[in-house]
Amino acid sequence: MLTITKTDLARIIDHCLAGYPNEVCGILGGTEGRIEKVYCMTNARPGPVSYEMDPEEQFRVMKDIREAGLSMVGMFHSHPGGYAYPSSVDVEKAYWPGTLLPNYPSAVYVIVSLLDRARPVARGYLIEESKVSEIPLTVIEEQEVDIVTQ
Amino acid sequence: MGVKVRIPTPLQKLTNGKAEVECSAKNITELVDALEKDYPGIKDRLSEGGKVRRFINIYVNDEDIRFVNKEETVLKDGDNISIVPAIAGGR
Repeated sequence: MLTITKTDLARIIDHCLAGYPNEVCGILGGTEGRIEKVYCMTNARPGPVSYEMDPEEQFRVMKDIREAGLSMVGMFHSHPGGYAYPSSVDVEKAYWPGTLLPNYPSAVYVIVSLLDRARPVARGYLIEESKVSEIPLTVIEEQEVDIVTQ
Repeated sequence: MGVKVRIPTPLQKLTNGKAEVECSAKNITELVDALEKDYPGIKDRLSEGGKVRRFINIYVNDEDIRFVNKEETVLKDGDNISIVPAIAGGR
């Protein structure tokens, strides 16, 4: 399960809609299955059927995530004209070239379908061990705040 | 003293689970050869025909080697090297 706030999910969807008809992408920082920071990234190879994160931006964001004490819990991209399910290219690129070693083990690939732009659909998947498994996205209202009593 | 190399998770099986290794090299080509000597099999994962594989990005400190001098990018003692798989896909 991957938890995301309504606000963060809205940010992802806004980024996807703003980039339409091209695919857009981003990185999700967080802890223990909980998204705490959404990074909207530049698609270095913009097109309606492809994306590649800008490598320097990716490097900077991954560093920022480490320095914040978080981990990369996932990444997202849009399918402007496709379903919210990993394509064969998504699956191929999830593994180290020429192997079945996942590039980012345990990271959830969130895919946003814009087939119906009035009702975007976001779903999460793990792509490893030669299979695609859905990881439910749980949308929460906002980050819960710890209440400290004196 | 040499350079420090951050190893991505999918290659850590080859480095006996180490996420960071040290080695001596004057440029990226030498670095790949030096890593291969210590961790056989890693060269083939990183390069093909002497070139770094597409969808694998290498950084020296904060610089992408593609914007410096690619495989000939010069290394100096104390440099931090990161090997980072690209995040890409498409439908």
